Amino acid sequence: MTNELPLLDDSVLTELRASIGGDEEFVRDLVSTFLAEEPANLQQIVDAAARGDAEAIVRPAHTLKSSSAAIGAARLSAISRQIELAGREGRTDELATLAGQASTTWAATVAALREAGLAG
Amino acid sequence: MSANGGGANGVALVVDDSGVNRMLLSRHLESIGISSREAEDGAAALAALRDGSSDIAVVLLDVMMPGMDGYETLAAIKSDEALRHVPVIMISGVDELDSVARCIELGAADFLPKPFNPVILAARVRASLADKRLHDAEVEHSRRQAALLDTIERQKEELSRFLSPQIAALVSSAEGQQLLAGHRREATAVFCDLRGFTAFSDSAEPEEVLGMLRDYHAMMGALIVEHGGTLEHFAGDGLMVFFNDPVPQPDHVARAVRMAVAMRERFAPLAARWAKLGFELGLGVGIATGYATLGRIGFEGRYDYGMVGAAVIVASRLSSAAEANQILLNPRAHAAVDELVEAEEVGALALKGFARPIPTVNVVGLRSPAPVS
Repeated sequence: MTNELPLLDDSVLTELRASIGGDEEFVRDLVSTFLAEEPANLQQIVDAAARGDAEAIVRPAHTLKSSSAAIGAARLSAISRQIELAGREGRTDELATLAGQASTTWAATVAALREAGLAG
Repeated sequence: MSANGGGANGVALVVDDSGVNRMLLSRHLESIGISSREAEDGAAALAALRDGSSDIAVVLLDVMMPGMDGYETLAAIKSDEALRHVPVIMISGVDELDSVARCIELGAADFLPKPFNPVILAARVRASLADKRLHDAEVEHSRRQAALLDTIERQKEELSRFLSPQIAALVSSAEGQQLLAGHRREATAVFCDLRGFTAFSDSAEPEEVLGMLRDYHAMMGALIVEHGGTLEHFAGDGLMVFFNDPVPQPDHVARAVRMAVAMRERFAPLAARWAKLGFELGLGVGIATGYATLGRIGFEGRYDYGMVGAAVIVASRLSSAAEANQILLNPRAHAAVDELVEAEEVGALALKGFARPIPTVNVVGLRSPAPVS
């Protein structure tokens, strides 16, 4: 189901551009910030999943969910949300699979951002 | 005030661990003329708020952050006397409405749903800033009110240093204006001045004269207050006090006589000290009871609360006629304290301005040293 979502949701990006007066440079700055900061959260997700630490996975998943949603990275946001929920509900056995999906989706999202001309 | 309105509106503090969210919020705020500062967690937010130069007027606060989360940060803000009035708007995703409710119970002003809608952001931030301004205006109003009350208290205190306590209280009371307007009642006037003062002030050093007057005034002033007299004026060695106004005193004559006797007793050691230096000073007192007009006397810019009537003139003349250590009473005053005092006849004194001589007695002492009330 998650895989049906677009890597980048054009409607979100359109709305984002409209809300900031079409300032393309700002969109690129936003994406740079995303690319600079979020790998740390992804790493924490992967580490927590490896330890089977449901509690520790919630916060980085939450932040990644929120940041990716803001730049229209819909699929990554959806997976992060699943991880956050699994963490909250203590579904430890699902964490490793979900973290693997998050890593894959991260790479795909970065590629999509490059393709869209939003990342160097 | 910058074009962004930072000065007028105050600054917004954006607290979120996501740099993407901080950037977006700051950008949206900027587009509605509000400048912002950013903090990536609760500890940084509190440090920014507690910075002495902080002009933060609203906080946008994320719930889930590493370290100190939104709940703890909110609780810290709301329990800090200096910060609790800064409105806090929670930033929250649609699936976090439970936590938003909890934050509003903890004192959050509002919440801002993610993803951010600039129109809703503008509306909520402006509403919170308006609340903050209203609150600040109220605080400023109370502060001014308190400062005003403080000033009035200080003026009353200052006033009571120059006026007798009764007059100072009267001036600042509600019924004061009515009493100030003038009224007639029986009252007792007391004049006293010093025999030998003119010679003393001619030959003594000015510092000695002023020093002596200071001692004398301090001593007399304390006795006036102690007996509930209303001081009308001090003038050099002379002073005038009246009783039974503005505060009614059924025993006003007795009070006047007891005060005069106490003055004579207390003055004796002071006189003895100056006698050693070759200066003969003696206290002369005149007391007269009669109907008089009391109230505000004078002119715009300089009013006194005074007593006007024949009794005042009689007391003044008696004081002038008194020899050192004499306390002279007019017949009406004497009649009122006949039981109280040991008096000796002085005879009928011809006083300037009065057609007939006035029978006068001198108070030798009190029959029983009645307690001062």
